Amino acid sequence: MVRASMRPACKRSADGRAALLGPCVLLGIFLFAVTSPSAAAAGPALSILAPANDQVVGNGTPVIVSFAVANFVLVQPGRVGQVGSPTEGHVDLYVDGVYSWPLTRVEPVSLPLESGPHTIRLQLVHDNGTPLNPDVFASVRFIATHGPAVGTPTITIVSPKPGPTISHDLYFAVEVTNFTLVDPHGQPNAPNEGHVELFLNGVLHQEPRAYDLGFIVDMPDGNNTVIARLVNNDNAPLNPDVSASVTVRILGAADPTASEQVTAGVTLILAVILLVLLLRRRKAARQFAPPNERSSDRP
Amino acid sequence: MNARILAFLLGTVGMLIVSGIAAPNVRAAPAPTLSIVSPSPNEVIGNGGPVVVVFAVTNFNLTDPGSGTSSPDSGHVNVFADDEWTSKASVNTIILALPSGEHTIRLQLVMDNGSALNPDVNASVGVTVTQGPAGGTPGLSISYPREGALVGTDSTISFRVTNFVLVPPGGPGGVPNEGHVRVLLDRAYYADLGDVAPLHLNLKDGPHNVTLQLVDDAGGPLNPDVRVTLHITVQALVGRAIPFDATPFLALANLLIGLGILAAIYRKLEAR
Repeated sequence: MVRASMRPACKRSADGRAALLGPCVLLGIFLFAVTSPSAAAAGPALSILAPANDQVVGNGTPVIVSFAVANFVLVQPGRVGQVGSPTEGHVDLYVDGVYSWPLTRVEPVSLPLESGPHTIRLQLVHDNGTPLNPDVFASVRFIATHGPAVGTPTITIVSPKPGPTISHDLYFAVEVTNFTLVDPHGQPNAPNEGHVELFLNGVLHQEPRAYDLGFIVDMPDGNNTVIARLVNNDNAPLNPDVSASVTVRILGAADPTASEQVTAGVTLILAVILLVLLLRRRKAARQFAPPNERSSDRP
Repeated sequence: MNARILAFLLGTVGMLIVSGIAAPNVRAAPAPTLSIVSPSPNEVIGNGGPVVVVFAVTNFNLTDPGSGTSSPDSGHVNVFADDEWTSKASVNTIILALPSGEHTIRLQLVMDNGSALNPDVNASVGVTVTQGPAGGTPGLSISYPREGALVGTDSTISFRVTNFVLVPPGGPGGVPNEGHVRVLLDRAYYADLGDVAPLHLNLKDGPHNVTLQLVDDAGGPLNPDVRVTLHITVQALVGRAIPFDATPFLALANLLIGLGILAAIYRKLEAR
């Protein structure tokens, strides 16, 4: 009985607490929403999806910049009857600190950039070009190169082979891997990109054109060591050094001893023949001389 | 008429005036404008381009061609390079691939059907495209051989250029940081080099001087002039080991002895 009488009382009490709890939770959420800045109406946001920071963009391909915009509407600036709104505008793109172009669509942008390090900066701006307050921007650093993005460069001298040769003018062919050869003209250094230097007996001799043969002429007689070295665009060697060498022995003029011996032998034979002829002639002259001539020398 | 009604009437009249009802000429929508943001006039576009043209419009809606009805306040941009139509654009950025040299880029606002606005709205800018870098001072040096070197009859000269791109001769003159190398041998024209391949020489014995000079595509010297001169001495067979060969002398001796033999035989026959 007592239990029966108490159950309704307990039930009413639980219902009351639940009824009280609901408004309290709502009130809490409301207060949290009002007081918490992060939960306030989210402001415009901008992020760069690609390339990644410090990424190496290889093979000379254009850099594809992908980005995302939130809580901000990209519109064409200068529309008819345009009224500025804090949540609309466009994205200004800067390459290496230089304004490049406005973006009015969230689409990847292809940037053909020369080799070297670059910085891309994107900034949300109003229709009139003024930045938001607070400024909303994103930037990324990366390196562009004509070479492969990864891999260790190697170089091999394919021709000539080590050993003797009679030619004083030699072509030098090299094979490189994980490295792209470009003609140097003062451009910035970039990973896995550069050119070849040929050293003859330790002295820089020439820099062949990209993917062309080296040609060293009038090499001195004897052993000659040619080193082919990969270098950066500024002529500095790679780190670690990447080089290959070949030693060729340039044979000098032909040894004349053999021809000298043959010719001397002929000379000797001819001289003997001449001598014999002269002796026989003298002997014959004595035999066929007239008697008065024979006795002319007699007293 | 109380004051409230009077104020209401005055306010209404004022709003009508402000709205332009009293001045029909002011009611016309502002005319579209077009301006080129970049490149700046006479800008040098380096490394072979491309040329990124950024323009701004006002009072004009850019629409994809063929996407709507033609009206004077919407349409697209016609792009002309050196007075030749190149492309259409409905976004504020145009990318143009142009060869080396000076170019004039002209943009024109047109309606969706391609007809020009009235009055015509256009903007133009002049740029110079070069295969070389946009800035920097060109440099030239000889890396081999060294000044005053003794070289053989056949020799090569290796050189380096900086802030300058070598291209085959024949292009337009005046393009910055682009051109070729002119070779003067003993102060006379010898060759033009359109790449960095080493120069191959075949010279007579004696002193020579070789001058390399950077010139523009049309062959004109740069300003300031960029040249480097190398003095070399040519000596045939330099670096060769030439052993003494007595064969010619022995051969001469053989000839003389042979003549002697013939003479001896002839005298013998004559004696008989």
